Amino acid sequence: MKKFAATLSFAVASLALTGMSTSALAQDAEAAKALADQNNCMQCHGLRKDKDGPAFLKTADKYRGKANAVDEVIKHITSGKKIKLADGTQEDHKIAKTMPPNDAAQLKNLAQYILSIQAK
Amino acid sequence: MTNRESGKPGWWAVLRRPSAKYSLLGLLVAGFFSGILFWGGFNTGMEATNTMTFCISCHEMRDNVYKEYQYTIHYSNRTGVRATCSDCHVPKDWTNKMIRKVKASYEIWGKITGKIDTPEKFEANRMQMAEREWARMKASDSIECRNCHNFDAMSQELQKKTPYKKHMEAKAAGQTCIECHQGIAHRLPKGFKKPGTEEEE
Repeated sequence: MKKFAATLSFAVASLALTGMSTSALAQDAEAAKALADQNNCMQCHGLRKDKDGPAFLKTADKYRGKANAVDEVIKHITSGKKIKLADGTQEDHKIAKTMPPNDAAQLKNLAQYILSIQAK
Repeated sequence: MTNRESGKPGWWAVLRRPSAKYSLLGLLVAGFFSGILFWGGFNTGMEATNTMTFCISCHEMRDNVYKEYQYTIHYSNRTGVRATCSDCHVPKDWTNKMIRKVKASYEIWGKITGKIDTPEKFEANRMQMAEREWARMKASDSIECRNCHNFDAMSQELQKKTPYKKHMEAKAAGQTCIECHQGIAHRLPKGFKKPGTEEEE
């Protein structure tokens, strides 16, 4: 019985751990991809390939393990701040739009998706 | 040309016979004004089917595409210029407008048979409907977009650098608006990948 309890508590603990590690991943990758397409993100960013803007993988690597990662990415895609293009010139970043406008859950989902990109 | 039973002239013979009762001027004036009435009525009716109120009188449009469109720049923007449904979806010139209106009779059949009468059915058919509309726009060199937008009217100073660069590349390559700008006023169909964004996945 003691052994069973130990196994059970181990299982619960590992489940909780798995839950924690996946919380940083996107909840709905398909919805995030659709939102990225709708906003033309992929015109300037590749998933793992630099275009005029850096690959999403670079962003993910930059913020990996950082607590403020999601907030930083959301700020990046909603504030229209100045960004540096591949050719060294500057431009205002496009402001990502959601339907309905400024939907926090959708933006968070997109940010989590970007941060979830892994090297192959 | 007489009616065999009664011996009276048939309707065709009556129509062909010169009038003995009305003056030529009377007939011309009556014809002229009834022509105006008929043509005016026809065009007014046609214009009524080009209003947003008409388009969203069906729940298929009101609950799906119209809702999405309300969140886009073509519905609401800084300067208050709105492009309504027909501005993008119905040609302005008379002949092509008539052709589009006649083709729209298929949409009435769709309405009667309930082809897209639930959100699920609408989504299931969205790709097919979008592709049909994109093909129509590409064939007309995106004329409905270009009624307002024009490569030559784009300001290099006012447009952001990256879009300007892409627009000039597109112009040189002879591309038309809809080849890149799909889903600007509506959601993109599920599974649609924008050209130029295909990727190693």
